[in-house]
Amino acid sequence: MGQIADPTIDQTRKEDSRLGRRMIAPAAIVTAALVIYPLALGFKTSLQSGGATFGNEVRWVGLRNYADVLKTSKAFDAAVHSLEYVAMAVVLEIILGLGVAVVLHRVFRGRGVVLAILILPWALPSVVSGLLWRRVFDPDSGLLNAVLLRIHLIKEPHVWLAGEASARGFVTLVHVWGVLPLVSLIFVAALQSIPDEVYSASAVDGATPIRQFRYITLPLLRPAIAVALTVGTVLSIGIFDEIYVLNGTALNTRSVLMQVYNTTFVDADFAHGTALAFMLAGVTACIGGISVLFLRRSAT
Amino acid sequence: MRLVGHSKGRAATAAALLILAACGSNSNDSFSEPGKASIKGQTITVLLPYQIPQALLDDFTAKTGVKVNFNVTGWDAVHTKLIVANSAKTYVADVTEFDWSFTGQFAGAKWDEPLENVLPAELTADLGNTSGAFTSGGHTYAVCYSNDFRMSIYNDKLFKQAGLSSFPTTFAELSTAIDKLKGAGVQYPLSIPMAATEGGVTPWYLLTLAMGGQLFDDKFKPLFADPNSAGHKALQFEVDAVKNGWVSPGSVTLDDGPAFDKFAAGSTAINLSSSPGSLATANDPAQSSVAPDIRAGLVPGIDGPGASFGLPEGLAIPVTAVHKDAALAFITWWQEPATSIELYKSAGMLPCRTSVLDRLTKTDALAGGSAITDQFKHVVALFPQGAPVWYSNFSSEAQGLINAALKGDITVDDALKQLATKAETLAKAGS
Repeated sequence: MGQIADPTIDQTRKEDSRLGRRMIAPAAIVTAALVIYPLALGFKTSLQSGGATFGNEVRWVGLRNYADVLKTSKAFDAAVHSLEYVAMAVVLEIILGLGVAVVLHRVFRGRGVVLAILILPWALPSVVSGLLWRRVFDPDSGLLNAVLLRIHLIKEPHVWLAGEASARGFVTLVHVWGVLPLVSLIFVAALQSIPDEVYSASAVDGATPIRQFRYITLPLLRPAIAVALTVGTVLSIGIFDEIYVLNGTALNTRSVLMQVYNTTFVDADFAHGTALAFMLAGVTACIGGISVLFLRRSAT
Repeated sequence: MRLVGHSKGRAATAAALLILAACGSNSNDSFSEPGKASIKGQTITVLLPYQIPQALLDDFTAKTGVKVNFNVTGWDAVHTKLIVANSAKTYVADVTEFDWSFTGQFAGAKWDEPLENVLPAELTADLGNTSGAFTSGGHTYAVCYSNDFRMSIYNDKLFKQAGLSSFPTTFAELSTAIDKLKGAGVQYPLSIPMAATEGGVTPWYLLTLAMGGQLFDDKFKPLFADPNSAGHKALQFEVDAVKNGWVSPGSVTLDDGPAFDKFAAGSTAINLSSSPGSLATANDPAQSSVAPDIRAGLVPGIDGPGASFGLPEGLAIPVTAVHKDAALAFITWWQEPATSIELYKSAGMLPCRTSVLDRLTKTDALAGGSAITDQFKHVVALFPQGAPVWYSNFSSEAQGLINAALKGDITVDDALKQLATKAETLAKAGS
């Protein structure tokens, strides 16, 4: 027997739908004005010649700016540096974040105070944490050199932010210092959602704490790990403030975002700057997409 | 302050004169006809990298009825803000910083009002050669307010402790003096900013000129990639200064401000690439712990004092400015002898007008008077053919590469070859 359509219900649904569209319209217009329009304008700029600085006529050049950027050694080096930042930061954040979360998951005296202190670096603006660490790494009057000289581990002041790989390592440490609290809190929240009964049952079956961590904690933390991976990756791809404060626009620590800044706002080459920015946005979007897929698979 | 507290009558007369003077022989449509500007009650925004005393701004307001919203931000940040706002054709301020190094870039993009026809003729003549630094394509885009150039300053007390009676005039003598200073206990005798900033690359330009060279030939072909060139030797000198411990290891991360701070704190004995205004600051007990022992010295050269170069900073009016007549009145007021002299005393900005410099010298008010006058004779243009449109791009590339060489990440040869390649590409694109 066929179902009889109720015209009143259809009418109500249509009205609801119309009302919904009307209600989201202001937000959609604001979003379009503040996000989509600048994005479209930026994309248009990336397809035009960067002649404004030289007083030349602006022409359409298709994807030439993108090709130019890929051929630039500075942009390529900056991309490699950014990949290094992402790899080092994400690995450190996940490992250290898990460690901190496991410790903080246990109930102990003063846990609240430790949690409050842990959040502090995250609460600081990255420029401020960069300035603090600059005082630590300062070759002439920094804390690190002073301590190492005092205990005779080094004979003369060391320039921590010189050198190729080591400088990027120190910048990563400063970045991780700021992001670690957030990652740790994600893991703490996830750990608290695992029922104690699961551990009790496994203990009855003879599981050791290491096996519990391997076969219970880690699998159940997979969604949280996916979130932490996404957050950590996006934040480290966008690393800028810490580098700028610690080492300026020096080549050995320059990230892609800094190269975008330099090309766009120092050289006033908006065409190549926006092309590079769009490529960076594309990579970030891909990483975000992969993370979402991973998250969905973890959830199922 | 001496400049404030004029009577209402005098203020009104001065305001009228300023407005008339500001309008000058006007042939720029962006400004009002002479005598027709009504600027009283307007508020202008000024964007500069240096603070000036509020009392002086109050003096301008009292004379013209124009209020000033004075914004200060770092030199590099000012450049960035101007590029962003000007590119977007949006208002940023009525009067802005215009460094000599902006000339090519800003003139090419036509971001500022040409001022050559709106300034009083007497002022234009009195500004002399400084206007050349802001001129491109026959238009002058700024009026010099800080007659900056490079010279050396040294700590006479530390020199005497090391048995040195005068400042070295050649690089060979400089090397000997540094050894003596180190022997006398000055761990790092030299202050040279070497960070990846405009301030960090300026000493390389200075040393290139002091060693008898130029960065480019008259067709903008880079000369510094040749190992026998002055530019190559200049960078090698800086690299050796790091290796030999003439400068502190941290110099590779120091901009010009912190490098001067170390000198003013007595940690170093020589600030090789200094501004004339720094001499007054270093001898001011309120701002320096080595006052009054600082003396001016001529930048050393190969056979005698070397060449230096000017880095004048100017005031410009963006095409997007709202109150252009009031902005012009502000610039004209700044150039008044009394204002310029007060700014020199309070903020160390060496005046640009020849008549004002003469007055300072005659009244013994010019710190390091004869040394400054002598150094002036050795000042040459960094770009005798005019700053190229692509200077900012070149400078930004130089900052990274010079800094990388100083840190030992790449060789002097590699850094300068890469920079030469970039310069050739830029010159080709900009020609």
